[in-house]
Amino acid sequence: MSLRGRIFAVIGLMVAAAFLQAGAVVWFETLRDSSGEAMMRAGQRFDHQTRMNRVVAQLENEHRSYLLIGLPVFRADFDRRWREYVNLPTLLVQYVDEEQDKKSVAEVDRQLQQWHQMVTDLMDRREQLADLPRVWQDQTAPPMRRIQNALDANQRRDFVLLNDQIRNASQLNFNNAIFTLALPAIDIIMLLVLVTVLARILLDPLAAIAESARQISGGNFDVRLPPARRDEIGALVKAFRDMSTAVQFRQRDLSSALSREREMSQMYSALRTNAEQESARLQATIATVPAALVILEAPSGRVVLQNTAADMLIGREPDAEADQQLYWESFHASYRDGRRCPVDEWGPRRALRGEVVVGQELIVKPQDGRTVPILVSAAPLRNDLGVITGAVAAFQDISNLYEIDRLKSEFVSIVSHELRTPLTSIKGSLQLLLTDVPMPDPDHRVLVDVALSNTDRLVRIINDILDISKIEAGKLELHPRPYDVHELVNLSIQSVGQIARGSSVALTPIVPPDIPKVNADPDRTIQAIVNLLSNALKCAPARSEVTLEVRSDPPGFVTVAIADRGRGIPAEKLSQLFQKFQQIDGADTRKLRGTGLGLAITKALVEMQGGSVGVTSEMGQGSTFWITIPVVK
Amino acid sequence: MKLLLAEDEPDVQLIARLSLKRAGFQVVPVNNGLEVLERVGAEAPDAILLDWMMPDMDGFETCMRLKADPATRDIPVIFLTAKVQESEVARALALGAAGCIGKPFDALTLGQQVLTILGK
Repeated sequence: MSLRGRIFAVIGLMVAAAFLQAGAVVWFETLRDSSGEAMMRAGQRFDHQTRMNRVVAQLENEHRSYLLIGLPVFRADFDRRWREYVNLPTLLVQYVDEEQDKKSVAEVDRQLQQWHQMVTDLMDRREQLADLPRVWQDQTAPPMRRIQNALDANQRRDFVLLNDQIRNASQLNFNNAIFTLALPAIDIIMLLVLVTVLARILLDPLAAIAESARQISGGNFDVRLPPARRDEIGALVKAFRDMSTAVQFRQRDLSSALSREREMSQMYSALRTNAEQESARLQATIATVPAALVILEAPSGRVVLQNTAADMLIGREPDAEADQQLYWESFHASYRDGRRCPVDEWGPRRALRGEVVVGQELIVKPQDGRTVPILVSAAPLRNDLGVITGAVAAFQDISNLYEIDRLKSEFVSIVSHELRTPLTSIKGSLQLLLTDVPMPDPDHRVLVDVALSNTDRLVRIINDILDISKIEAGKLELHPRPYDVHELVNLSIQSVGQIARGSSVALTPIVPPDIPKVNADPDRTIQAIVNLLSNALKCAPARSEVTLEVRSDPPGFVTVAIADRGRGIPAEKLSQLFQKFQQIDGADTRKLRGTGLGLAITKALVEMQGGSVGVTSEMGQGSTFWITIPVVK
Repeated sequence: MKLLLAEDEPDVQLIARLSLKRAGFQVVPVNNGLEVLERVGAEAPDAILLDWMMPDMDGFETCMRLKADPATRDIPVIFLTAKVQESEVARALALGAAGCIGKPFDALTLGQQVLTILGK
């Protein structure tokens, strides 16, 4: 039964109870009314009976007085009494319900009628009667006594009846009062019962649900719910149970999600701690490395991280965005040769465009006015998608290198100067001595000659060292210009003329007449050709031929090939020939008097002009050294 | 032909002097650039041989001063230097020098080289 039905049923019951109560009150009232009536009837009956008895007693008294005394007044009274009597039985019988009592009244009346007949007869004949007292005593008194006894009995019975009725009525009254008083009590009890029942059917489940909800909200899902009933509470309980289950599942999901989340968060925080440590380590590393490190963000080029070394080297980037461009411009970066380096060509800027810059050499002027040569290396930083997010740039202060370089150049320059000065004296002295002083002993001439040739060799060594140091320092300047190959060849042959003249080796130039002009620094190109020619002349056996052949090939170049008929060079040595201080060991080499730098210088001079060098050699057949020189375009 | 020879190294100065004398030059040796400027007016040389590196006043400055003075501007200046690098030669020529002779010079042909530079 639904809760609503139940509530309506309860209200119905209450209405029914109210009607019942009203009915009961009415019934009790009716009962009390009828009992009052019965009591009144019993009272009337008792009154009439008593009057009858009193009248009968007076009849007895009057008849006795008349019989014994004989005064007419007594007779009159007697008759009056009788007339009073004759209506009484009829009156009395109206109030008698019981047939037996009616009969008893009628019997008494009949006896009394007989008695009256007899007494009246006797009184009429009083005069004739003798011994009247006897008559009364024997004839009238005995029936009268019987009648009176019967009447007394009736009266006693009626009295009892009246008493019964009175008691009955008073009992009824009492009951009625009790009942009337009891009704509110019953109402209260009913209300209590109702409230209890309502509480049981309505509030207890709600309270249980409320308690369950409280428990569930406290996290305890192991709660007992009221049994499911087929009513709204049942529906509520069911809904609540469903909700509780759902909440439990949700709670489970949530708690597992929470624990997952907690794990994630722990993992995340571990990772973060890790990352922070790594970052701190990295930052400490960045801060302490001697190299100046700067990390820029793309595309703004703002400095996001700069270490102490960078602070000291280039200073801090200003915070204001507008000042940044000016800041970078303020360095007046230039290349080593003095050309201005635009800000966009700076290594970090190039890295921001995706370029990897290694060892860009710049000379910058930070705001404090210093001039600092730096080596810039920079690389772009990319995210997972390959998008450039920034750049890391390292600046290395190479002032020390510059200083060392400068000192080296200075050293070489000073040393060469300091060496040349005494050599000038020695050489001049020897030359003048040899030319101007007569020497009868030929051995003396030879000795002076040896001294002179060694002086020349020393000069060549110094020159070669100067050249190689300039080449290595990048300070060798070339001034290429269109130049006639014939002249190059002639000037070269002139330079080695002395060596050639001093030997029995023939030097044969082979130059096609239509050879194009080359684009070359003549002095340095002649130096390269002379190096090769003098090597060839030195290697060539006596009375052999050294050829200098010029060819117009490969395309865009002129090849100058110098071939000797010497012993040749072992294949494994060929690759080392053009390195510094490489000389071919062997019986002849000691008299070759090279510096070990000639081929290295030749290679450098040729390559600096865009050409190349090479050698082919066959043991016993000789060697061919060649260089290529770019032609004028 | 009269040459003013400025060379701080006595030995080199001697060799150069002998070498040039042998070639028929009249040589007035001095020890530095200051002396060149002091003597150039009085000696009126046909040419001046300047060592590049000298104490008190080096060849570079001496040459500059000679070329700045209208009285001496037209006297040819030849550098006698151990610095035979192209840049130095170029600087020397830029200053108005007639030429450069590298050290160590050839004592037998020094006079000839001077004459070649002077165009004679």
